[in-house]
Amino acid sequence: MIAFLRSGFSTRRSRNGLWGVPLVIVVLLVAVLTLATEQFATRENLFNLVAQAMPLLIAAIGQLFVIIVGGLDLSVGSVISFSTAILSLDAPAVVLIPAVFVLAGLVGLINGLVITRLNVHPIIATLAMQYILLGITRILRPVSGGDIPQIIISAVQGSFLGLPMPVFWGVIAIGLAAKLLYGTRFGLHLFGIGGGVAAGMEDAARNFGIRVDRNIVLAYVACSLFAALAGVFLAGRIVSGDPNVGLLFELDAITAAAIGGTQLSGGVGSLHGTVLGAVILALLANGMNMANISPFVQTAIKGGLLLAIVGLQSRKKMGL
Amino acid sequence: MRSNFLKGVLTGLVLSTALSGAAMAEEVFLMDGVTPSTTDTTVVPAGAFAKEGPWVIGMSHFGVNANTWTVQVAHETEAAAAKDSRIEKLIILDAAFDQEKQVADIEDLIAQGVDAIIVQPVTSTSANASIEKAVAAGIPVILHTGRIESDAFTTEIQGGAEHFGKVMGDWLVEQVGNDGKIWVLRGLAGHPEDTNRYNGLMQSLEGTNIQIVAEQNGDWQYDTGKKVCETLYLADPNVDGIWSSGADMTRACVDVFKAFGAPIPPISGEGNNGFFGQWTTEGYESISAEYSPSQGAAGVRAAVALLEGKELFKHYDYNPAGWDRDRAAAAYRADLSANVWWPSELPEEKLIELYGN
Repeated sequence: MIAFLRSGFSTRRSRNGLWGVPLVIVVLLVAVLTLATEQFATRENLFNLVAQAMPLLIAAIGQLFVIIVGGLDLSVGSVISFSTAILSLDAPAVVLIPAVFVLAGLVGLINGLVITRLNVHPIIATLAMQYILLGITRILRPVSGGDIPQIIISAVQGSFLGLPMPVFWGVIAIGLAAKLLYGTRFGLHLFGIGGGVAAGMEDAARNFGIRVDRNIVLAYVACSLFAALAGVFLAGRIVSGDPNVGLLFELDAITAAAIGGTQLSGGVGSLHGTVLGAVILALLANGMNMANISPFVQTAIKGGLLLAIVGLQSRKKMGL
Repeated sequence: MRSNFLKGVLTGLVLSTALSGAAMAEEVFLMDGVTPSTTDTTVVPAGAFAKEGPWVIGMSHFGVNANTWTVQVAHETEAAAAKDSRIEKLIILDAAFDQEKQVADIEDLIAQGVDAIIVQPVTSTSANASIEKAVAAGIPVILHTGRIESDAFTTEIQGGAEHFGKVMGDWLVEQVGNDGKIWVLRGLAGHPEDTNRYNGLMQSLEGTNIQIVAEQNGDWQYDTGKKVCETLYLADPNVDGIWSSGADMTRACVDVFKAFGAPIPPISGEGNNGFFGQWTTEGYESISAEYSPSQGAAGVRAAVALLEGKELFKHYDYNPAGWDRDRAAAAYRADLSANVWWPSELPEEKLIELYGN
């Protein structure tokens, strides 16, 4: 355990990045907020915090898959909005829920194929998909509304074994991602592909026999599926479909991954770091509300802190 | 005989209680132009939320930094709270037009144990679940500047967006006649306020032969509104009137006609100082629909009334008449920037501090 924690601060080459920095920030933020505000450490607020962090945490985990291979997915927010819109349609849950994941998987597949087969830059390919999906979503649901299946609302707002349901969403999302990234050849290959991209040797992984294009496509599919999961969670939380609810989510998801030590150039990043990054963003939002910081200055504080945290984790500092 | 007598006495008692209740609720002043709803006269009983001060009032603002009007709502709220020494603290949280953030903000206000929560809903469904949580926790919830589908709130002050759009629409129908050609400058696509204002226009156009020859979203912004008007003018300058959904698009569109040296067609507007100055100086035909940022202050007064234990109506309407040029000229302040919205309840020193040239 100690060796694991120490690795988070190691400046030696590590594919996990300096995830110890966000860990320290989380500990500091929790300590400061507990001392500074009476309400922060209450059971009610901590349960709120889990629910507030969850959609971003899930979306950021998805984004991690594509960042590791040196890509980016700007369609994440649109997939989230699209998913809530689908779920608000007048159809049974047994149709809507599978439909969300099938369509999201298709979005990821198209993103991946456009990037690998047509050689379109990930930013352009996923930006185009963002616009296309936004348009379709606004046709499906021009303004917020509709009814969300009760099973989703209960699965998000209910509790089980005395714990709020969002805790279980987190366990499932993190568990699934951990299995994919650290328990399969697919995960290993993603790091290999990304490492080659970051080193300017795009063909390195291919030369080792890794099916690069296939794995990149699968990374985008995984990203979209996690975004859809975040969308399902959000639909249960806002109890409606909303064409705008995912706006800017892709940027927050990238920010969470970056804060967690993930290098946007690829090859370096960790699930635990990304989770910590999402937790930091949620703590900031919740903590600034609790500390009664004026809305006029909250945004500036958030930007400044992000810059400082990411600045502590430059590639150079990691010996890469 | 005795039974009829008793029935009469009981009916009299019930009626007098109801009437005296209504009279008490009517005694509460919320804002000029705000009246109890005539369609639903449900009353929040006296004492339902009575609490000794000092109070902490929370507010979930739908988006403080969206434009100058939304900023002023926050300032009007702060100024109204500052006037009442019993309000120990006002906490304004900014949802930044994000449904998810609004849910989180209201949860945070409940966790902080505020005494009342004022909500400007991001959408008609965004805050339902958390508002229900707040009311279940015994916290009164006051809504304004946006309706929700749930009935769980305590009281609401609602300026009808349809009414707003119809005030402009009725006036424009008079201006362009039965067969006129009009442009429609809409606000932010997908925003309920835009949809509802537009629905108000549609009500005005019913039964006329007025033709909408162009319809674009100017996002209520000066820059976007200007681009849209330039494009429309270059495509076909023949237009009899313009229905502008308000905010800063009217001033932008007028500037386009001025830049092309063309006569300014009748165009609807909304009460900001920049538009009032331009309207007064240029003298074109317009009307200003009213949607005061002082609804922020009205929300504070409603919260205070509930905490004082006063009786309130559950539903209040804010459907004022449109402003003509004389009224706009009287309100216009050359010593203040274009960004003030009228009518305002901000104290003079605050107006100078925030908006003085």
